[in-house]
Amino acid sequence: MVEEQDMKDYSGYKPNSVAIMKKFGVKLWYKIEILSSKGTVQGVVLPRNKFAPDGFVEIKLKNGYNIGVPLDKNTKIKVIGEVPPMKVSFDQHIQPKNKNLPTVCLLGTGGTIASRLDYTTGAVIPAFEPGELFTAVPELAKISNIETEVVYQLLSENLTPQNWLELAKKIVELAKTNIDGIVIAHGTDTLSYASAALSFLLKNVSIPIVLVGSQRSSDRPSSDAALNLIHAVTIASKANIGEVVVCMMGSSAHDYGFIHRGTRVRKMHSSARHTFRSIGITPLGMIRDDEIKYFSTEIKPRDSKNRKKMECWSSIEEKVALIYSYPGMKGDILDFYLNSGYKGIVFAGSGLGHLPKTMYPALKRAYDAKIPILMTVQTLWGYTGMDVYESGRELQDLGVIPGKNMLPEVAFTKMCWALGNFNEYEKIREVLTTNIAGEITSGESMNGFQIFQGVEHTISPKE
Amino acid sequence: MGKSIDYNAVGLKCGIEIHQQLDSATKLFCACPNQLQGTREPDFRILRKQRPVLGEEGKFDEGMLSEFLKGGSVIYEGYYDCTCTYELDETPPFKCDEECIDIALEICALFKMNIVREMHVCRKNYVDGSVPAGFQRTMEIGYDGNLDLKNGKKIGIENIFLEEDAARRIKTQGKTSYFRVDRLGIPLVEITTTPDIHDPEEAKETAYRIGLLLRSTNKVKRIIGSTRQDINVSIAGGERIEIKGVQKLDWIPELIHNEVIRQQKLIDIKNILNQKSISPDDIRRDPVDLTKIFQKTECRFVKAGIKRKEKFVGMKIPGFHGIFGTEVLPNRRFGTEVADKVKVIAGLKGLIHSDENLLEKYNFSPEEIAQTRQKLNIQNDDLFILLLASGQALETALDVIVERCKQAFIGVPEETRQAKEDGTHVFLRELGGEKRLYPDTDTPPILLSEDRIKNIKENIGPYPWDIIDEYAKKYNLDPFLVEDLIMDGKMALFNELIAKYPENPMLVIRTITDMLKVLHREEKNINTLKPSHFHELFAGLKQGIIAKEAMLGVLRIWTDFPEISLKQAKKKMGIKTTDLTKLDGIIDELVQKNMELIKTRGRGAIGPLMGDLMKIVGRGAVDGKVLSSKLAQAIGKLISQGNSTSANEKTKKKQKTKKPTKKISQSPKNNPKKTTKTIKGEK
Repeated sequence: MVEEQDMKDYSGYKPNSVAIMKKFGVKLWYKIEILSSKGTVQGVVLPRNKFAPDGFVEIKLKNGYNIGVPLDKNTKIKVIGEVPPMKVSFDQHIQPKNKNLPTVCLLGTGGTIASRLDYTTGAVIPAFEPGELFTAVPELAKISNIETEVVYQLLSENLTPQNWLELAKKIVELAKTNIDGIVIAHGTDTLSYASAALSFLLKNVSIPIVLVGSQRSSDRPSSDAALNLIHAVTIASKANIGEVVVCMMGSSAHDYGFIHRGTRVRKMHSSARHTFRSIGITPLGMIRDDEIKYFSTEIKPRDSKNRKKMECWSSIEEKVALIYSYPGMKGDILDFYLNSGYKGIVFAGSGLGHLPKTMYPALKRAYDAKIPILMTVQTLWGYTGMDVYESGRELQDLGVIPGKNMLPEVAFTKMCWALGNFNEYEKIREVLTTNIAGEITSGESMNGFQIFQGVEHTISPKE
Repeated sequence: MGKSIDYNAVGLKCGIEIHQQLDSATKLFCACPNQLQGTREPDFRILRKQRPVLGEEGKFDEGMLSEFLKGGSVIYEGYYDCTCTYELDETPPFKCDEECIDIALEICALFKMNIVREMHVCRKNYVDGSVPAGFQRTMEIGYDGNLDLKNGKKIGIENIFLEEDAARRIKTQGKTSYFRVDRLGIPLVEITTTPDIHDPEEAKETAYRIGLLLRSTNKVKRIIGSTRQDINVSIAGGERIEIKGVQKLDWIPELIHNEVIRQQKLIDIKNILNQKSISPDDIRRDPVDLTKIFQKTECRFVKAGIKRKEKFVGMKIPGFHGIFGTEVLPNRRFGTEVADKVKVIAGLKGLIHSDENLLEKYNFSPEEIAQTRQKLNIQNDDLFILLLASGQALETALDVIVERCKQAFIGVPEETRQAKEDGTHVFLRELGGEKRLYPDTDTPPILLSEDRIKNIKENIGPYPWDIIDEYAKKYNLDPFLVEDLIMDGKMALFNELIAKYPENPMLVIRTITDMLKVLHREEKNINTLKPSHFHELFAGLKQGIIAKEAMLGVLRIWTDFPEISLKQAKKKMGIKTTDLTKLDGIIDELVQKNMELIKTRGRGAIGPLMGDLMKIVGRGAVDGKVLSSKLAQAIGKLISQGNSTSANEKTKKKQKTKKPTKKISQSPKNNPKKTTKTIKGEK
């Protein structure tokens, strides 16, 4: 009980600070004057980040700046008064429905796109109430009627395969109602895992399922959240797409968005806005303002009438590991997973899909136990080529399944899905190597691999 | 300055804010060089649109919202080699640069500030697009310091902040602003004084002393634009007005003086209004469409506007007759104040009001005015305004006018104003209370240890004004010369050289200041001259390798050939001497060739012939002044002789050239003397 009260009065402060604050009857949100040999300073006591060092009190000065003032045995504090804690409240703008507009369902799972700054502590807090959404991005009301639902409030690194399954079930449920598309606001860290998992878990997708995130939270004027959300809702409303796709800014400019296939997309920059890139294929299309342009002719078209036929696979396996191969790697790594009861392993191998010889005994054990081992490439671009070198042939002989040009993370979600819904080793092997949702392409066009460095335009063609 | 004012009696209060760029190697939050790229073409451009953010109360920041609704966009221009993804807000900030913190701490020590032991980086939102992130990163580093004025008065220094500079505006095209990000992230200190200044001259001295103190560290930038100052002014019964963009210290007294007058006038207006039987509630937003009355007006722009389907709207301001015509600053009336606000906020060209001479100034007819007065029900003490506009701009303009007239009952509205060169200033934006600051989520707090603070405090040098006194006395110099050394960052070089050459402090100063100015004016690149050149020069002087008259010549050669030794430079000058012996011949030949020109234009021929001569001799090989005086001499001689130029004379001249050789050969020695003299004159 005492601890709970302390949490409220001294949130984030450590023992030495708390002791001195208590001595002078100081609590959070008190206006105080701190007297020391170096003069006096006045401010309002703020909550403190729990990782910040002990021995300071954090105050907001009259000029708006925050500073930390050291506390020691010579410090004297005078309490001047108390101010109400800063709290954020929002005007709730509930938009009346417009019969002439399509209807889109917006599911919140957490992440930057559904969060904003806590103005007192600087922490990023979830925020996804419909009222707040329309207050922040009023343009949405002109595109479609939007129904929102908060499914999770998790940073995406904390989402699990089980969450993907629940999300897929939710989508199937929603598809039975009168909607034109679904938008899922998701943290960007594992957004492409979720898009791939949903691509495998959903059957007969007939409306756009658009995953969207943001790299800058909406409390920043330069945020990409609003633009990405507007793009995603527009695609969900009217794009002729019946697939799971990802929509994020296509360049560093607040200009157009790219539409990526859910199984061929990857986060390629830790912080840039245009972080999501299609790998091995071009994006399916782009969106600028309310205009959608398609780059690909191989897009599954929308079939809204049949949306009620959407179904979901029943299960997902969580005991799957994704292992990055590296020089000097030993079999004990794989042994650990096998001993821990893992049901399937995906490797991101070097080059064409190789592992060091030191792995062979452990691989044999796995094969004998009928644990599927799926190989992908660390290079991200290109196919496994496990007939080219002796080592590739040896690995195949040990049961390693070439994953063709599946991206490692995509292969991981596919393994989770396959193991959850199929039992026999041979069947699992078959679905893993068969294209299900565009994750394996029959070939790669020259413009599927493009990483420009900004110098190409300076190089003139050779005579 | 206009009439004298007893500033104490009016209760003048002034505060100054100075922004000073630091001369660190890198920017504050990334490793990009702290260097502007001037007119260099950018490598890339990126378009961005900034959105207003929801503030603490869940409402949009008003300023940001109005900017956003204007539908503007920003294009950022950058370079691949000296700006990075941080400036473009694509990467979170790197660790705050330690050198920048050290410089800021040193500045804090000079102003005797208390140091913040745990700095928290804050965000200050910017609505104009000048920061790609939409906010500037800033932190308070010091508080409660002071500055001594010459008369011993202490001016309080309220705060010192360490922050990032914004991007520089290149141009505005329609609704698009162009900003270059080379300036973005350059470290700045912002120094704010308490409002303890009660006299305009004192404000100037304060700004001057802060500047001198900053320069004395030798760790701040000196280029144009690296120091920017704002002043805050209020009088008793008035309000705080912030005047931005004060580019020269000399402007300060006049800007303050004018602001005092303006506030007095606005208070006078307030008193007049309050004596009348009207209240702010009588100012109603009650526009009347007068388009019909003015359909056939002789006033061209109104006629054209109506043709464009704009509305011509009138509105009564009861009791304001004469108020709009009251002068608040030289050539600026209360009406101008209202019009300025309408221009800035609503984007209109201006407004018309009945305190103006409507018939003469706008060419309206008496009937039109009579009808307007009737339609708006204007009584003797009322004023009316006329506006040509449509849509949102018209609505906003009406709001602005009503609000400004209501404010007139209270006196001086708080606002930010832009300084103009003539000592006046115009409305820039609403002051809007304290700028909202938010904690920055991307940076941890920065701890400043007591040892670090102590170490820096112990190592600060003497105050520049003490140095000026000391050096002026010790070397018998004009204090202004010493001050120049400090302002130019030449103190260290002076100390090194004077140790080697104590005989002539004046010569040392002239060499490192005036001579460089001469070379700079000759468009020589003086940045090629390093301290080692000066050391070699003075060593040579001491050893008698060169005479002091040859110093400027040697430096001139070094600007072109910085890698050569003093002896080589001297030799090069020798070569020039032989060139000079040929000079008279060259000039002679040139003059002969251009007889016709000289005949017709007389001394006017010097100009065009000078160009030819420079080409023949080679630019920079000989001092331009020597060339032009010689050419003038030759032409002058010719004119005075009449036009007789027989072959005989020619030979005579050629023979003559032998004699002057000696004289000319001395000329490089003589020249510097001449040049120095000119400079002396200018000083």
